[in-house]
Amino acid sequence: MANSATLTTDSKQTWGGGKSPFSVSYGKLMMWIFLLSDAFTFSSLLVAYGFVRFTFTGSLPNTVVKPFAHLSHNFVEEMQKAGMFVTERWPSPELVFNHFPFLHGIHLPLMFVSLMTFILIFSSVTMVLAVEAGHRMAKKEVENYMILTIIGGAAFLGCQAWEWTNFITEGASLSSNPFGPTAFAALFFIVTGFHGTHVLSGVILNIVIYLNVVNGTYEKRGHYEMVEKVGLYWHFVDLVWVFVFTFFYLI
Amino acid sequence: MDHIEHLEHTESPANMKSQIWRTFWVLLALTLVDIVLYFVLLSSHSIAKNILFVFLGIVKAFYIVSVFMHMKFERKFLVWIIIAPMIFVCFLIWLALTEAGYTFGMRLF
Repeated sequence: MANSATLTTDSKQTWGGGKSPFSVSYGKLMMWIFLLSDAFTFSSLLVAYGFVRFTFTGSLPNTVVKPFAHLSHNFVEEMQKAGMFVTERWPSPELVFNHFPFLHGIHLPLMFVSLMTFILIFSSVTMVLAVEAGHRMAKKEVENYMILTIIGGAAFLGCQAWEWTNFITEGASLSSNPFGPTAFAALFFIVTGFHGTHVLSGVILNIVIYLNVVNGTYEKRGHYEMVEKVGLYWHFVDLVWVFVFTFFYLI
Repeated sequence: MDHIEHLEHTESPANMKSQIWRTFWVLLALTLVDIVLYFVLLSSHSIAKNILFVFLGIVKAFYIVSVFMHMKFERKFLVWIIIAPMIFVCFLIWLALTEAGYTFGMRLF
């Protein structure tokens, strides 16, 4: 608590200028402020989802398909006839996102998106390990962890592309949705799309940083703070996914 | 000429690496709890279930922000600058969900 002691007892030294009162560099402070504004953007999108969802009748309890059951070819039509997929009723995400690659025709709710969640959490871990290696000025380790983070991000984007393709093939778009209210599909595409754009720009930033690490830019500069700043952004993307996962799939 | 910058930053603790891995296991465990609860509560559509999942999400967010984003080692002032404005999000949630109840009623009649 030595820092906060300085903050209270000697405020002239803390706020007198010439150094950061927050004990972080300008760039890092601005990254935090940007992430705060981005958190507001995502919050408003998720709150909009909550609002729209609450204006619709809740989904019916599913008594038709059990997990691991085989799905028929005209599953969507059957659900429409059973009154599960109608425009007045919010569909249960369990019945909408139930596919897994190479396991076609089996009812596997939540499985694929859980895999995506694990991928993103793990890439967050490799990112923070890259930051930790940067503190020790271990160039080779930073390189390796950055590569793993980039692979994780790319894998996540690939999974999302697969998820979108499935949903679009079944007839969902910004203006149509065979599973229920149009707003369900529109919000899904906008929110996961906006998150996916963040992942994509995160991967691009990670690649840029990786190339700088390889070229020894930060070695010459004397610190790897750039890895930290991009790391903050990357963890934020993971953080947002926790809530997208909760609201779009779990609830 | 190499230019070496002086950098202001808060120090990480010596056991940072073990803290990172511990956080990873916590996040993994919480996600597994999510999945198990999802299948256990599959047929229920109660508000309590929603609150439970949101609560678990907030716990995960706490671990990501505090350890991965280094927040718990930063100065209190910075922490509050980032966390305090979130009160507006809470207000927005309350406002939107209350209004949604009225809109739901209007949709029915």
